[in-house]
Amino acid sequence: MTRLLDLLRNPADLLLPAFVFLFFVFIIAPIAIVVWMAFSAQAYIGFPIPAYSLKWFYRIVEYEPFLNSLIVSIELAIASTIVAATIGVPAALALARSRAGFADGLATFLLSPISMPQIVLGFALLFYLSALGFGVSFTALLLGHTLCGIPYIVRTVLGVYRSQPADFEEAAAILGANRWQVFRYVTLPLVRPGIFAGGLFALLISMDNLPISFFFGSPDTNTLPVVLLSYTENQFDPSIAAVSTVQMLLALLALVVVDRVYGVKHMGAPS
Amino acid sequence: MKADVEPPACPKRGARLRRVLGLGPAGAAVPLIWVLPAVAFMAIFFVAPLVDNVARSLSLAGGFSGAPTSALAAYAKLLGDPYYLEVLVTTLVFSLVVTAISLVAGYPVAYFLVRKSGRYYSLIVFLLVAPLLTSIIMRTFGWRVLLARRGFVNSILMDLGIIDVPINFLSGPGVAVAGLVHVLVPFMVLAIASSLQGIDRQLEESAQILGASRMRTFFHITLPLTLDGIGTGFILVFMLANGSFVTLLLLGGGSIQTLPLLIYQQFTITRDFNLAGAMSNVLLISALICLVLQLRILKRRGVKGK
Repeated sequence: MTRLLDLLRNPADLLLPAFVFLFFVFIIAPIAIVVWMAFSAQAYIGFPIPAYSLKWFYRIVEYEPFLNSLIVSIELAIASTIVAATIGVPAALALARSRAGFADGLATFLLSPISMPQIVLGFALLFYLSALGFGVSFTALLLGHTLCGIPYIVRTVLGVYRSQPADFEEAAAILGANRWQVFRYVTLPLVRPGIFAGGLFALLISMDNLPISFFFGSPDTNTLPVVLLSYTENQFDPSIAAVSTVQMLLALLALVVVDRVYGVKHMGAPS
Repeated sequence: MKADVEPPACPKRGARLRRVLGLGPAGAAVPLIWVLPAVAFMAIFFVAPLVDNVARSLSLAGGFSGAPTSALAAYAKLLGDPYYLEVLVTTLVFSLVVTAISLVAGYPVAYFLVRKSGRYYSLIVFLLVAPLLTSIIMRTFGWRVLLARRGFVNSILMDLGIIDVPINFLSGPGVAVAGLVHVLVPFMVLAIASSLQGIDRQLEESAQILGASRMRTFFHITLPLTLDGIGTGFILVFMLANGSFVTLLLLGGGSIQTLPLLIYQQFTITRDFNLAGAMSNVLLISALICLVLQLRILKRRGVKGK
């Protein structure tokens, strides 16, 4: 109450909170409106919405390209995350505590795909992979998405492992664990939150990737963003809203599951 | 054991012990060689394609339209033709505008987050990060739903009697700028917030005790101390804006032509792969410049941190 009176006495203090409020209206509005639109019963985008229905969600199942590409996207996201983790986690572990002079440089190198314009990567990869004989295929997509996933996994695992003292591994070794046991029962559990947080990022980035995926588009390899892009270029109806809402819920579900199981929030904090 | 008494940060700690136990440097249970698969993957599927792309853009045989006269024909066309030069300039100006708006809008939010948010801290961080869970297509679609002729904003304005005829928001560069700021501003806020967090509050208090006004304290103490965060955020957002393509493809009704869009069109419509290759290399060079600048800032901060 006194705070409220203070604010009224000094109206300039209201400026900052008011600005922040408007800022978050700006951030949330375009997302909230899509979720709202997904429940419209109209065949076109327009306000006010006269009636509500779930018919646009049924359309996801009816319209084959949506469902097929959603399946391709999910398979691709999971496969590329697994490959990226398989080669990214050992690399991050090896670099995190290395005092070799080139370790920092190598880490920067492994993180650098994030900084490159993806459309350039997609364009370059298409010609390169075609010359190698992969052409437009799921394998080619998998390679491109893995490339984009590696930096996210390397970054989080590096961060988590660097924040842990070497004491745990030393203690295990002193108590008689061999190298494999130290790795399996000490190192891996220590960095597991990092692996899952990085994996979640890689998964989300892959699901949303368009600049690489569209170069490798074919009826069998179209990902959801590619299909949505061509759909939005031709039509403007609430089905896009319904698909986007489902995709967002899937991402939210992945976040909640990873958080519940491995505690994304606790990543980086020494246990 | 002596090693146990010393602080963990000491690098020499127990080096001999670890060697005896077979643990490798600094207690890593993992040998450095484990980095090889990732490095090999990156060499084959990241470096090689980009080098291949440079080679292709320089090749004589690759052109489809007419006979190229020199190895640099594509680049000569790109930098000599006023149209392409304009696209290049538009790309840079557009990215600068988006970055500047993100900075001006993001700084107060970062300041509020670090200094004033109190119990709303987690909520604000969540609201900043939550958009990452949505696809870029969803967000551009959201802008179209908001701003279409029969969209949300027009219907409200008409209901209130402010306008009689719907305003055409969707053509013109404004909505493209808004859409891209929406995607990129959280990165700016987080970069600035992390440097604000590192400021010693006593510096600001000293300035105020010595009689500086709040404005003066901010512009002479706080702002200069967050220049690193501003730099990091600025380069990051500029880099991402430079390469962004989905937002511009779907918003702005073709009112702005940027390099990534042109690459897309060269690929899908004109099919001049030589020129598209040259354009992507120009984009790549600007990204590399940004990356080097970013590393220099990070290195400087790292040294200061110690």
